[in-house]
Amino acid sequence: MFSRQGSTFPLSANASNSSRLNLMKKYLTVFKTSWANELEYRAAFLLARSRNIIYLLLLYYVWLSLSKMTGRFAMYGTEELTTYVFGAHLLRSVIFGAQSRLPAWEINDGTFSIFLVRPVSHFWFVFWRELAQRAIYFASAVAELVIFVWLTRANFLGLVDWGVTIIILITIINAIFLYFLLTYLVNLFAFWSREAMGPRFLFEWFLEFGSGAFFPLDILSKTLLITFQFLPFAYIVYFPLKTYLGKWDPWQIATGISIQIVFIIIFSLLVIFTWRRGLRRYSGEGI
Amino acid sequence: MAAASYMSNRIEYGSYFFGKVVRFAFLLVAILAIFNHVKTMAGYSKYQVIAFFLTAFLVDTIGQALFRGIYLVREDIRKGNFDYVVSKPLNSLAYSLFRLPDFLDVIFLVPLLTLVIYTFVKLGIFSNPANILLYLVFILISTIILVALHIVSVSLTVWTMESESFIWIYRNAMFLGLFPPEIFSNPVQLIFTFAMPIIIIVAVPAKALLGILTPGMALAALAVAFVFFFGSLLLWKISLKHYSSASS
Repeated sequence: MFSRQGSTFPLSANASNSSRLNLMKKYLTVFKTSWANELEYRAAFLLARSRNIIYLLLLYYVWLSLSKMTGRFAMYGTEELTTYVFGAHLLRSVIFGAQSRLPAWEINDGTFSIFLVRPVSHFWFVFWRELAQRAIYFASAVAELVIFVWLTRANFLGLVDWGVTIIILITIINAIFLYFLLTYLVNLFAFWSREAMGPRFLFEWFLEFGSGAFFPLDILSKTLLITFQFLPFAYIVYFPLKTYLGKWDPWQIATGISIQIVFIIIFSLLVIFTWRRGLRRYSGEGI
Repeated sequence: MAAASYMSNRIEYGSYFFGKVVRFAFLLVAILAIFNHVKTMAGYSKYQVIAFFLTAFLVDTIGQALFRGIYLVREDIRKGNFDYVVSKPLNSLAYSLFRLPDFLDVIFLVPLLTLVIYTFVKLGIFSNPANILLYLVFILISTIILVALHIVSVSLTVWTMESESFIWIYRNAMFLGLFPPEIFSNPVQLIFTFAMPIIIIVAVPAKALLGILTPGMALAALAVAFVFFFGSLLLWKISLKHYSSASS
């Protein structure tokens, strides 16, 4: 029913677009539309932010109470823990996305078929669609933190120098791509099963904890820490934040960034493979 | 009917169940990891903090097990099916709240209660049966407050057609009950005691269990339960008067 020849490779554009500028214009339009859509549904936006504000409140006071007596908890000082909590709040907003279940829904209800006839790559369409939401969430997270710091008079560690800033930005950009590839891959399982939301829910909780978004992973036992360091999740929040805190030496930072890139390559290949196999099974049910 | 629905989507609901288990397990692992580094948290020992944690999960699980049907109300109103609910000879509020029990949470109660009993043993609670009785009484009061919060949510949905935002704010706020309330600053404690009574729902039963509940806190819990419950019923009556059918 639907031509699949032009849509066999999810990371490249369909049809005959030769100009990269035209290609970027399309995705920028997707970005702007998603931005407007996000601001249209303000109740859903406030609800999503309320969850993150609750996490911020809880984690700030937990770590503060644990480090209040001695000024330290585990290998972290109070300011380092506060910085970790604030950093996790910002990284949640810019890396984790609430829209990321949409592709699975679209595959299950048949609206995915629209993407097969559009001259855009589904992968990049979804990426730019989610990027708009993350940009809004990030702006909101910054405002929330400013208010929070003003109310609590919390102390945290600022950025050290521009060199470190660039390295941190690289780790965060890698984390954004890594997270997106992971969630996009999980969404593609909807090609095989209509019961994709349950596994997605399970995956999200593994991701939340394994990424270090709730607590620094090195407060866990050595066995658990080593286990998590072999998984990609630890390189999404934990690795960038530890880099910011200056807890790694240059060799460890280089190794961590290399591991992020390796995981990005591995999951890119898995996405391509899963996409091709999934398209063969897709039947457009529901439309 | 609800059970049949779950059994027909085994992968989906099996994954949801394991997701709940993973969330619970990771949070418990985090608490255990914290106590590898410190002996107390806000003056509470490991198993006392675990008592707060388990009480929060117990109350939340009871609420989710009983009131899963609340998430269907908005769709019913939007499609006009709510007309058929109010026209039937049954209590529309009770139907909206209890129509879809969540069997996953009922199953999850089993390991949860096992851990609660284990914690009782570790804390030596069984030598104080009065504390256990008080704990059960205040769990019941917490459930009454939960019912009230869900009635408020249904009422707002019927009145304003707003999505179940209110109930999700409560669900998210329950995370704050995982730890003793003393870790929070006084303003935060006040807000989450009287405006969104999470501290009442979780901390009061836990403190009753530990034998450290003050009479003032106990009275506050009773007062909050009374005000919320009867206030929510009044809100429900008002919302029904404002209900405008979308169908037929």
